[in-house]
Amino acid sequence: MSNINGKVYAMNVITPMKPWKTWILRGLFFVLGHVKPLQNDLINLSFIEFARWVILPRRRFPFLANGQVKEDLKYDYLLFFSNFNGTWNQYIDAFSAVLSRGLNMIWRWSEKFPGSVPVTPFKEYIARVQFDTDYYYTAYPYATANDLKSAHIVQSALDSLNQRTQACSPEQFAEAYLKFVLRVQAHLGETGEAPVVS
Amino acid sequence: MPNKNGNVYGLTILSPIIDDESATPSHDLQIREYLATLPTGEESPFALSPGTHLCRLVVMDDVIYVGAPACEEHLHSKYLVFESNCDCDLDSYLQGLAASVPERLDAIWSHCVGYPGAANPQAFIDYMKACQIETTFYFAAVNDKSVTETLSALQTQRAVTDFIACHQHTKPEQLQKEFTEFMAVLKAAPLPRPGGMAPRRDIKTGGRNE
Repeated sequence: MSNINGKVYAMNVITPMKPWKTWILRGLFFVLGHVKPLQNDLINLSFIEFARWVILPRRRFPFLANGQVKEDLKYDYLLFFSNFNGTWNQYIDAFSAVLSRGLNMIWRWSEKFPGSVPVTPFKEYIARVQFDTDYYYTAYPYATANDLKSAHIVQSALDSLNQRTQACSPEQFAEAYLKFVLRVQAHLGETGEAPVVS
Repeated sequence: MPNKNGNVYGLTILSPIIDDESATPSHDLQIREYLATLPTGEESPFALSPGTHLCRLVVMDDVIYVGAPACEEHLHSKYLVFESNCDCDLDSYLQGLAASVPERLDAIWSHCVGYPGAANPQAFIDYMKACQIETTFYFAAVNDKSVTETLSALQTQRAVTDFIACHQHTKPEQLQKEFTEFMAVLKAAPLPRPGGMAPRRDIKTGGRNE
C-alpha cells in the first residue's frame, strides 16, 4: 500500500448521500463545470495535479452477473479522488482555509459532514471516510503541478525563440534571448526527489 | 462531457471482485499482494503502455459508515477501483494497455467478475466500459498536453536552466552559435522514460552569499 509516489499523494474518499440530495449536487457540479470563474480557487490551489468527484448512484454499481450479488443500498455515494503535492495535513489545511465555501457546497449533502471550518472536525471526518491506495503510478514522480506548468511555459518560449533564431543577426538574437530569459526566469526551478516529510 | 477536461480523460472503473469462499487467499487479498509487488517506476505496466499521466488501483472493501444517525449498510462485493488520468481517447488508451501489458492486466483483473482477459482487445475494452462510472466533475491542472509533451517539456526546462546559467555575459555571436548547437543536442536527446526519476544532478552552488 502506498498513497505516495514521488511528489504526489493519492487520496480516496467515499461518503454516503441521501439519493434526493445527489440531484442538487449534480446541479452544483454542472454549474461549476460551466462557469469557469467558479473554478479559480481550485486552480489557484496550485498543488493539485488532477482531482475528480464521482457520484455513484446506489443502483449503478457495476453488475456483471456471473454469480455476483446485486447491491442493495439506501445511499448514493460520492467518491473523491485527488492527486496532490505535499502532505495530507497541508492539503486539508489549505482546502479548509481557501476552499471552505466550495467544499461545504460539495460535501454538505453527505451524511454527517461537519463543515470544512473549523479544521479539526473536518480532518477527523476526512480521516474516517478515506481509504488507502494499493498501487500508485505517475509518469513524472519528480515534478509537482507547478513544475509541469512552468516546464510548458519554458518549452513554449523556447520554441518561439528558436523560430526567430533562424534569420536574425547575432545582436537581434541577443536581444530576443534576453527577452526569453526574462520571460522564463521564474519558471526554471529544479525538479528532483521529494523532500522527506514526517 | 465530465469524463474529459481539455485533452485529458478521467477514467473511473469499479470492477467487482470475485467472492469465492473456497479461494485461499481470497481474491481481493491476491490482488493486494500482487499490487504490492508491481513496479511503480519505469517498469510499471502503465509506463510500458502509452498515455497514462497518473493512475491508481485500490481495493475498496466496503462503503464507510459515518456514524449515527446515518444508516449502516454494506456492499455485497468488494471492488477494484482503477482511477486513471490519461490522454484521450478512451478506446485507444485501453487498446494500448491490452497490447502492451496483457499479462500484467490479466494478473490483476483475473480476480474480478466477468473479466474476459486482455488477449481479445475488444472484449477487454467492452469489459472496462461495462465497469466504467461516469466522472461527475473533473479537474486537471494541465489539460492540453500529452504525457510525451510533458516529459519533453520537463527535460527542456532542465536543459534551458543549465544553458542560461552557463551563458551569462556571453557575446552575441557566440551565444547564437551555441544556442543553435544546444537546440540540435536537445532535439536529438532521447525522451525521458515515463515513471523514471529526473536525472541526478550535482547541487549547483555559487553567488555572493556562499
